[in-house]
Amino acid sequence: MPRFSLYQEEYHPSPLQHTWLAFRQSHVAVIGLWILGFFATLVVFAPLIAPFDPVQQHTDTLLIPPAWEPNGSIEHLFGTDSVGRDVLSRLVYGCRMTLGISLILVLLAMLVGVAIGALAGMTRGVRSSVLNHLLDSLLAIPTLLIAIIIVAILGVGLVNSMWAISLALIPQFVHNTRDFVRNEMKKDYVTAARLDGANKVHLFFITILPNMVEMLVVQGTMALSIAILDISALGFLGLGAQAPSPELGTMLSEGLKIAYMSPSSIALPGSAIFVMVLSVNLVGDGLRSALRNRMRQ
Amino acid sequence: MFRFVLRHFNLYVLTLLVLCIFSFWLAYLFPGDPLVNLTGLTLNDPADYQAMAQKYHMDSGILVQFWHYLVLLWDGDWGFSFSSGLPLYQEIFDSLPATVELSTYALLLSLLIGIPLGFLAGLRHHRTTDNALLAASVVGYSTPVFWLALLMILLFSLQLGWFPLSGRISLLFDVPHDTGFILVDIWLSDMPNKGAAMINAVQHMVMPVLSITIVTTAIVLRLTRRAVVEVMPKEYVQAAYARGLSKHQVILRHVVRNAMLPILPLLAMQSTILLTNAMIVEVIYSWPGIGNWLIQAIYQRDYPAIRAGMLAVSTLVVSLTIFIDLLARIIDPTRERGARAKI
Repeated sequence: MPRFSLYQEEYHPSPLQHTWLAFRQSHVAVIGLWILGFFATLVVFAPLIAPFDPVQQHTDTLLIPPAWEPNGSIEHLFGTDSVGRDVLSRLVYGCRMTLGISLILVLLAMLVGVAIGALAGMTRGVRSSVLNHLLDSLLAIPTLLIAIIIVAILGVGLVNSMWAISLALIPQFVHNTRDFVRNEMKKDYVTAARLDGANKVHLFFITILPNMVEMLVVQGTMALSIAILDISALGFLGLGAQAPSPELGTMLSEGLKIAYMSPSSIALPGSAIFVMVLSVNLVGDGLRSALRNRMRQ
Repeated sequence: MFRFVLRHFNLYVLTLLVLCIFSFWLAYLFPGDPLVNLTGLTLNDPADYQAMAQKYHMDSGILVQFWHYLVLLWDGDWGFSFSSGLPLYQEIFDSLPATVELSTYALLLSLLIGIPLGFLAGLRHHRTTDNALLAASVVGYSTPVFWLALLMILLFSLQLGWFPLSGRISLLFDVPHDTGFILVDIWLSDMPNKGAAMINAVQHMVMPVLSITIVTTAIVLRLTRRAVVEVMPKEYVQAAYARGLSKHQVILRHVVRNAMLPILPLLAMQSTILLTNAMIVEVIYSWPGIGNWLIQAIYQRDYPAIRAGMLAVSTLVVSLTIFIDLLARIIDPTRERGARAKI
């Protein structure tokens, strides 16, 4: 956006502003951000938006088709399921559950991953080598396998599947933090800080961490899309959230039983997951290319 | 070169050791008696129990137990499954090839489609073709694989009736179990209706393979595109143009090779996503692979099966990862240690 400039004053946006300006260049990314904002609103205000309780069973209105079908009713916009629960409310709460939990998981994984990564990046020698390599190869194990093991030890349940997914998300944060810290440690500003007498803790938290924030946000959006997919996959397989709770994957596997009678019961939760992941990926892509453009300048 | 191999070998042995320790530890972590979890036998008779405890050295220290566990693992005595009562070693090596087969075809197909399209997108950076391909790939890798599989079942098998709903081959055919790869098995066998069996097996395979391929292709496309975009403005490409090479020659001689280099280590990273997707897809299509087997084991609380299955699958993944990493290092020694490709 051209700023009105009366004087020949130069405009220097801060790095964050710069990223935002570059981000806005991509319309698709901005649309993604709007959709993500919509889902975030659902997460926060679900009880106000949803017309009914997601687990309340209206026994007089079973399997009502969506409102746009000839015999649908406007009272239940997306119809009701086989035990008379309002599908719209379940979807709203489902988005809340799936996206909200994924956000918590990503934050948790980020915290642990950055801590380990920083440790691995700033140490040298055998300890660092063992930590890195063993971690590298061990954490190549698929999420689903980790989830299966954790579920086998602790039993089926949402919280247990959350442990599994956060465990599976940690390695990529470790990798990226470690590589980033390694690279930054070679740079002049870090050397300057070190010459000023900064110890390692200072060096990481005050010198390096502020430069890492954007990388972490990009990484976080990637992790978020993986977390959403994983948590709904586990719900779908019956290893995560259990039946009455409105989790999108669980809803999908429930809808499977009545897919013949109401195809919308698998179309709606599935497309909710799809649009959610799509918006996260669009924002992530936009941020990444914004960051890349900024670095290039 | 020799140092690389040695280092990777060390790493490999160390990782496998950790995996074995973990699988041994699982027998203690799972609910129930560790000995029962290790053997998979319900030992009601005290004499049997004593005999088994003797075999696994349960009365000795934990290290001695672990050592004997390793020896038994090496001998192929992995215990028995709670639910079927069959030896786990045999069950796993019956179902693992089915998964490997599924993922191999999906990976090959996605490389075959993804790499050329990625080159196309990368060479037409920021033009309509590029944007269209990029949009398609974002849609592709945002799709939950289980939902895609369900939609494909609804469309192609229930509505149109083109492909069978589930399984690996029609029960009419009796394919001898040789390599575990069904297409190879049919090819090698001397059964009467070989051609018909082949067609039937391929028909069963189309939907599971396609569901995995769509997601994987999207990722391969993006990675290839990024690699090409990074290579194009490099000095050696400019130099090649300056020497008067045509666009064709530049791309074939300089861009292709250099852009393909970072894609190989990427396959290692993809193998986990690929395997996870394959395991989910197996459950939906009732494909008799390791993923389906493990999920069934969870439902039936078959702890010995989970322990052994975890060991088998993670060994496979770790071997693959380390092997590809080593290969990538040998092909491209300039690659920085631990450097990873970017999407």
